[in-house]
Amino acid sequence: MQVKAKLYPKEAARLLREHPGVREAVTGATLHFEEGRKRAYQEIDAEAWRERAKRVKDHLLTHLDHYLELAEKRLQEKGVQVHWAEDPEEAHRILREIVARHGVKRVVKAKSMLTEELGVNPLLESLGVEVYETDLGEYLIQLLGEPPSHIVGPAIHLALPDIQRLFHQRFGTPLDASPEALAAVARKVLREAFLTADLGISGANFLVAETGTLALMENEGNIRLSTSLPRVHVAFVGIEKLLPRFADLALFLPLTARAATGQRLSTYVSLIQGPAKEGEEGPKEVHVVLVDHGRTSLLHDPEAWEVLRCLRCGACLNACPVYRQTGGHPYGYVYSGPIGAVLDPGLLGLEDTYPLPYASTLCGACYEACPVKIPIPKLLLTWRQRAVERGLVPTWEKGAMQAFSKVMQSPSLYRLFSKALRGLPLPQDLLPLLKAWTEGRGPLRPSPKPFHELWQELNKE
Amino acid sequence: MRVALFITCLADQFYAEAGVATVRLLRALGVEVDFPKEQTCCGQPAFNAGHWKEARSLAQRTLGIFQDAEYVVLPSGSCASMVKNHYLELLPGDGEALGLSEKTYELSQFLVRVLGVTELGKGLKGKKIAYHHGCHALRELGVKEEPLLLLKNSGAEILPWEAAEECCGFGGLFSVKLPEVSLAMADRKISTLPKADALTSTDAGCLLHLTGRMGKQGRNMRVVPLATLLWEAYAG
Amino acid sequence: MDAKSRILSRIRHALKERPKALLPEHPHPALSQDPLEFFLKRLAENGAEGHLVDKEGARKLLADLAQGLPGAAYGKGVPDALRLLPELPPEEAPLGVSRALFAVAETGTVALSSEDGRKAQLLPPVHLVLVEEEKVYPSLLEAFLDLKSLPSAIGLHSGPSKSADIGQVMVRGVHGPGRLVVAVLQGTW
Repeated sequence: MQVKAKLYPKEAARLLREHPGVREAVTGATLHFEEGRKRAYQEIDAEAWRERAKRVKDHLLTHLDHYLELAEKRLQEKGVQVHWAEDPEEAHRILREIVARHGVKRVVKAKSMLTEELGVNPLLESLGVEVYETDLGEYLIQLLGEPPSHIVGPAIHLALPDIQRLFHQRFGTPLDASPEALAAVARKVLREAFLTADLGISGANFLVAETGTLALMENEGNIRLSTSLPRVHVAFVGIEKLLPRFADLALFLPLTARAATGQRLSTYVSLIQGPAKEGEEGPKEVHVVLVDHGRTSLLHDPEAWEVLRCLRCGACLNACPVYRQTGGHPYGYVYSGPIGAVLDPGLLGLEDTYPLPYASTLCGACYEACPVKIPIPKLLLTWRQRAVERGLVPTWEKGAMQAFSKVMQSPSLYRLFSKALRGLPLPQDLLPLLKAWTEGRGPLRPSPKPFHELWQELNKE
Repeated sequence: MRVALFITCLADQFYAEAGVATVRLLRALGVEVDFPKEQTCCGQPAFNAGHWKEARSLAQRTLGIFQDAEYVVLPSGSCASMVKNHYLELLPGDGEALGLSEKTYELSQFLVRVLGVTELGKGLKGKKIAYHHGCHALRELGVKEEPLLLLKNSGAEILPWEAAEECCGFGGLFSVKLPEVSLAMADRKISTLPKADALTSTDAGCLLHLTGRMGKQGRNMRVVPLATLLWEAYAG
Repeated sequence: MDAKSRILSRIRHALKERPKALLPEHPHPALSQDPLEFFLKRLAENGAEGHLVDKEGARKLLADLAQGLPGAAYGKGVPDALRLLPELPPEEAPLGVSRALFAVAETGTVALSSEDGRKAQLLPPVHLVLVEEEKVYPSLLEAFLDLKSLPSAIGLHSGPSKSADIGQVMVRGVHGPGRLVVAVLQGTW
């Protein structure tokens, strides 16, 4: 997927200016999810669950080579074909070979952020294969040709009228069709796809090393169908998505559901252990592609490696007051919001993503929401420090910081600045900054006298 | 008991009244107050923006200035958190930083947790207050109940506000680096604001940002720092 | 060196200086109340319908569901006594009947096996699931720890299919069954 993260400041501003409906739609959806998460956390000992989940994932990550080898062994014992891909090119080669061998003409896809990273859909289309995104939200954005705006609900930036218009153009439904009527149309189209597809492609929420189990969570049933009806199933799994033991699912499945949507468990969970046995319905061939794509590089990072605990639940997006204003598109990559701001620099490099760690006020709401206690605010500061060290911040900012520091190091300079604020012309460096403030908030009105000048009189009281 | 006041650069410049109120209130409660004149800024703007070299030198400077204080009190949640929580990140293992961290408090935190004062007077009787929880005070310092307790016990009514604990969008440099998003966040707060006699918070940055935005929208409401209200609670 | 070796080698290199984290034990499952009552309650909260039935009650439940229907799709484990309607392929059947491996009370979940037949669990718009009362576990953890062997696929179903992707309005039966009915069978079957 193309990376446009450097454009965040301009894109965020443009979206707010040109599409105010997005802010409304995203605010409604994220507040709803966040309320659900809070209720779901309150019902349990959330602190204990989160701490335990953090420790399981830390153990997994600090023993990752061992668990990957165990997972591969178990998968192969169950008859799954295991592949390893370092980057999108290798993933494409593997998929191309499977498509050719089986003469695949039609694919049904479960929602998978990893497949977006890898550009799976464009590859398949270039091979003349028909691809159907089967998650309803993903289906909508596929029809619109847009990238996902949210990790869990890719179409939350769309309001009902947008969808009514889309279906009217595509399928001839009336402009005031109800959500039920629209869903019925999508259901019919996608049902046909499920029944005739040659290949089902998915990601995985978890891959259990002990048993070689793929675990996938959803509410619609499209993942169960995509992984049960076609005769071949290919699952792309990020190497960090493992769990050590089958029973760890008893913690992670409910924890992820509570964090993501406020549910005790998602409506459907698929626990897959290989192809269908003789006489059973189900795929005859199951492939797992273990994908690196920047994850080993992130594992190397002494501070940012903790990001690899991420469950892709979207709780941080739902909690984030910055994300809430625009949705995910301005972030310019698959992973947006708070997790995107700390994950994307690790996966893609800071040079291509440096505005993202600054897309935050460091309010801390994300950390409170995260089911695996990723210290997002701390990592935002880490990336910001590195951005400054590598000279990736705008020149005016460097200049302003140096001026600011000079003034604050010297009480006499500070007092001079204090007087200047109240009358004399201000230093040029600060002027663009001032305009950015006053344009939306009016002129700055300092107190008639600063406190340090009032102290003398106060003392006399 | 002696307290050194750390006024913070924003309050010094834009909410000097908060400093005056803090001094008067503490003295009325029997606390001696000093004002080390060399103080300027805690370094938070540089720290948050990733300019740790500048932040570190300001932190070191601040450590020297407040070295001998018995307690350090700030009418600001974010600056108190900077000193209490982040100086040790800038200067890991530094004994002075640890020492300063332990004796530094935000004003309402100091009143309730150190002085044990929960009632100031009835000066806010009948007043309807909208309380904005600044993010650093709320999530880094854990200051949530203290301001509300002090306000309620002085007769004020804290109005329910759906967005009370959401970030206002100031975020230091964020407010001018990403102004459109910052303003959208202010608009979210303001559009859900109940009809109060006053809007208050521990942080000058938040108040400046919200006041400015409300002014631009022609929204009339008294916006006042917490310290000022607490003095009013006491003095009537 | 192939991709696998290169990836594993990079991982080992990355972890060289990293302190190892210990794996925590599983928590002790909480002693809970009667799982059956709890199970029915949670099922209802999930938007599914739960019934505690004996042999006679089960027949009656199926007869009610079968009213006016031409046929049903059956999982392999469904007892003959309950195959009241003629068998239809799952692609055509208006009703699917399955036998669950186990159920979980705390989440209102039934566990369906690939051995029973996946299509009947997913394609018909109404899904009736039969589960024996002694197979209802209080918690997911207890169910998972007790699992002796794994079929090629288990589906954990906790309610009717739903989505709010269209303008944040909840719609049922988007892909999977829009109606889930669970019959907990008392006694021996």
